[in-house]
Amino acid sequence: MSDYAISTTALTKRYGAKQALNELTLSVPVGEIFGLLGHNGAGKTTIVNILTTLLEPSSGTAVVGGHDIGTAANQVRRTIGYLPENVQFYDNLTLGENLMFFARLSGVHQPGRRIGEVLGFLDFTGHESQRMGTFSKGMRQRAGIAQAILHEPSVLFLDEPTSGLDPQGVAKLREIIIDLNTELGMTIFMNTHLLAEVTKTCTSIGILSSGTLIYQDSVAATLASFPDQDSLEDIYLHIEAGQRP
Amino acid sequence: MTEVLVLARKELTDLRRNRFMVVLFVFLAIAVVLSVVVAAADFRLKIAGYNHYVDALTAAGSAATAPAPQLFPLQMLRGGIEYLEIIGSLFAVVLGYSIITKEKGRGTLQLIFSRPLGRYAFATGKILSLALLWTVTVTGLFLVITATLLLVGNAPLQGGDYLRLGLAAAHTIGYLIMWSLLAMALSSLTRRTGTGLILALVLWLIVVLIIPQIGDTMDPDNQIPGGLFASLQVDKSHEQAVMAHFTGYETTRDLIEQTSVTKHYERATFAYLGIKNDYNQKSLGFIWAGTFNNTLWLLAGLITSIGVARLAGTQKIILRKVP
Amino acid sequence: MNLNRWTAVILHELLCTVRERLPQLLLAVFVGMIAASAFIGSSARTSVTGVYREVLSQGLTTAPNPFDAFSPLYYARNTVIYIVLIGALLAIVIGVHSTLRDRLAKTTDLILSREVRPASYLGAKLTGLAVFVLLLLAASAVINIGCVSVVVGHVLSFGDGARIAGFYELAWLFMLPFVALGMLAGLYASSATSALLIPIVVWSVMIFILPLLGTAAHPVSLLNPVASPPAAEAGFFSFTSGLVAPFSVGEQFKHVSALILSDPQAAGTMTGGLLTIAAFAVAGCLAVTMTRRERMRCEFHD
Repeated sequence: MSDYAISTTALTKRYGAKQALNELTLSVPVGEIFGLLGHNGAGKTTIVNILTTLLEPSSGTAVVGGHDIGTAANQVRRTIGYLPENVQFYDNLTLGENLMFFARLSGVHQPGRRIGEVLGFLDFTGHESQRMGTFSKGMRQRAGIAQAILHEPSVLFLDEPTSGLDPQGVAKLREIIIDLNTELGMTIFMNTHLLAEVTKTCTSIGILSSGTLIYQDSVAATLASFPDQDSLEDIYLHIEAGQRP
Repeated sequence: MTEVLVLARKELTDLRRNRFMVVLFVFLAIAVVLSVVVAAADFRLKIAGYNHYVDALTAAGSAATAPAPQLFPLQMLRGGIEYLEIIGSLFAVVLGYSIITKEKGRGTLQLIFSRPLGRYAFATGKILSLALLWTVTVTGLFLVITATLLLVGNAPLQGGDYLRLGLAAAHTIGYLIMWSLLAMALSSLTRRTGTGLILALVLWLIVVLIIPQIGDTMDPDNQIPGGLFASLQVDKSHEQAVMAHFTGYETTRDLIEQTSVTKHYERATFAYLGIKNDYNQKSLGFIWAGTFNNTLWLLAGLITSIGVARLAGTQKIILRKVP
Repeated sequence: MNLNRWTAVILHELLCTVRERLPQLLLAVFVGMIAASAFIGSSARTSVTGVYREVLSQGLTTAPNPFDAFSPLYYARNTVIYIVLIGALLAIVIGVHSTLRDRLAKTTDLILSREVRPASYLGAKLTGLAVFVLLLLAASAVINIGCVSVVVGHVLSFGDGARIAGFYELAWLFMLPFVALGMLAGLYASSATSALLIPIVVWSVMIFILPLLGTAAHPVSLLNPVASPPAAEAGFFSFTSGLVAPFSVGEQFKHVSALILSDPQAAGTMTGGLLTIAAFAVAGCLAVTMTRRERMRCEFHD
C-alpha cells in the first residue's frame, strides 16, 4: 500500500458552466488528521463527495486507501467511513436499530458485538434503546461517528463535523477524532470552518479557494512559516487574500 | 385592516407565480370542461341511437312512436360538478396546506410575526386571499363551462339558467374555500411536513368518498343490478308506498349521508342545476324549500372552517408548531 | 448486494414503515372500513329483504327475492372500492415516506458511501414495502373472511374463502404500482410537498378522469365497486375507451375483482385486466430500480 491514504491527480468537477473543482492535486499521508479549509462554495463538500464515491469527477483520478475511485469504487467504500454535514438518521428508530442497519449494510460480522465495542469506545453506551428523534445535536454527531467506524475503516471523512455543536460538544468530538487517529490509526479527512479547532485537532491542512488548492502543509510548519501572524485564522485570511509566501 | 390586505395581496402574487398551482388549476378546468364535452358527446350518441331506432321502425312499416330523449342542458354539468366535488376539493386541500407549509419551510413566519400585526391579521390575510382566489377561479371556470355548453353542447340557455349557474357557482365557491381553510388549519396545527396534509387527506377521504359511498351502499335500490324495484317490476307510485314502511332505515341512511358536507353541496347544486329529476324545471322557490337545509349546512361548514383557520393561524399557536 | 444486506434493508424498511404514525392513520381507516364493509352490506341486505317481503305482502310481485341468488361473496364487494380509494392512497403514502425519509434525513449519503448498488438498495426497499402491503392485506383478508362469516352466520366454504384470498392477492398486485409511484415521487420531486401531491394527482386522474373518457361514467358512479361498461360499442366512446382503458387501472382492478368475487353484474374475462395491472406493477418496479445514484442524492428546495 502507498504511503498516502488519499491522493488526487488533476481532479476536476464541473456543474454545467460552473467549475467546482479545478485540476486539484492533493496527497494526504497515512495517519494524518487533514483539515481542508476554504470559504463557502470553495468546493470542500464536492471533493469529499468525490472521494467517498458519491459523485463522479468530470476528469482526473483519485486513489483512496490504495483503491481508485473510478475503477474500484466498492473497494474504496469498504475502506472508508463517512459522516456528512447535518446528518439526521431515522428518527423513529432507536440508536441500536440505526446502527444495526448500517453495520449490516457494511457487511460487519457479529454486528451486535461490534456496536457494543464502538459505543464503548465513544463513551456512548446506555442510549441504544432510545429513539434518535429525541437526540441532541451532539448525540447525533456521536451516533454519526459510530456508524462511520462500525466497519473499521482506514480512512474517515468528516464534513463540517462541529457544525451546530456547543463548546462542550466540540471538545468531546475533538477528543474522539484524536483517539480515532492515535488509538485506531485512522487517517482522517475533515472539512471545517472552525480554525481554532483545526489548530487543536489537525496535523496538516489544505486551503481550497474556488476549486483550486492554494496551500497545503503541516499545521506546525504553517504556524512556523508565518511568524508575523497571530493565529491560524490570520494565516488563513492572509493566504486567501492571495498573499502567499 | 391594511396589514390584512398587504398579506392577502402578497399571497395572491405568490400563488399566481407558483407554477405547480397554476398547473393544478388548469388541470381542474380541463377535467371539468372535458366532462361537459363528454356529456355532450354522450347525448349526441343517444340522439343518433334514437334516430336510428325511429328509422328502423319506419322502415319496418311500424306506426309506433318512441319519445325523443329530452335535452336539459344544465344536466350535462353533472360530471363537472362531481369533479369539483371530488378533485376540486382535493386541490383545495393542497392549496390550503401549501399556503402555510411554504411559510414554515422558508422561515418567513418569524419575519412576519416579528412585525406589529394584529392577533388575527396573518390568518385573516390568508383566508381573504383563499376566498378571493376561489371566487375568481370558480367564476372563471363557470364562464368556461357556460361557453362550452353553448358552443359544444349547442345548449339553448335561458335567463333563469344563468341564475341557476350562478347559484351553483356560489355553492362551489363556499365548498372549496371550506376545504382550503380546513387544510390550512391542520397545517397550522401540525409540526412536521406532510403531517397536516395527510390528516387533511384522511378527512377528505372520509367526508368526500367514504361517507357518500356508505350512503349509496345502504340504498336498497342500489343493491340489485338495474335497481331493486325495477327487478321486482314495481312502479314509482308503489315504490314510495312500500318505502313509507322503512322510514327508520331511510332516516338513518340519510343521517349518515348528512354527516358529509360534500353530500350537502351535491344535493344543493344538483337541485339548482336540475340534475336531480325531482327538481328539474322547478321554480327556485320550490328548490330552496327542498334544499335550504343543505345550503345552511354548507354555510355552517364554511363558517366553522373560517373560525378554526383564524384561531389556528395566530402567532401563539402557529409558531409553537414550527419545525 | 449480498443476501445479508438485502434482508437488512427489507427488515429496516418494515421497521420504519411500522413506526411511521401517519400511514398508521390511513391504515386504521383502511382496516376499519374492510371490517365494516360486510356489516354495511348486511344492513343493506336486511333492508332489501324487508322491502321484498313488503312488496310480496302487498301482492305487487311474484318474482323471487333477488338477494337469494347472491352468494356470501356479495358482502366482500365493497372492499374493492376501499382498495381503490384507501388502499392505493396508503400505498402512495408509504412509498413516498420510504424514499423521502432517506432524502430528508440525508442518510442516502451514508448508504451510498457503502458497498451498496442503488438498484439493489431500492429493489430491497421496494421488496420491504411489498412485504408490508402483503402482510397488511393478509390480515385484511382474515378480517374480511371473519366478518362475512359472522354476517352470513356460518364459516365460509373453502371455495368462497379462496376467492376472497385471490381477490386480496390481486389487491396486492394493484397496490404495488402505487407503492412504486410513491417511491418515484419521493426520489424525483423537488420538494417534500410535491412528492406527496404529484402521485395523489396521478391517482385521481387514473381513478376519476380516465374512466370518464372511455365510458362517459359520472365521477361519483366510479365509486361503484363494479367497473362501468363502455357507453357505446361504436363511435366516439369505443375509440376513447380503447385508448384510455389500459390506463384506467382502477377500472381494470374493479373488473377483475368483480369476476373473482362472482359479482352478478360482472361479465367478460380476467386476462386483459390482469395483464394491465401486472404491466403497471412491473413498469413501476423497474422505474424505481433504474433510479440513478445522483437522483437519490438530490436535495430538496423546501
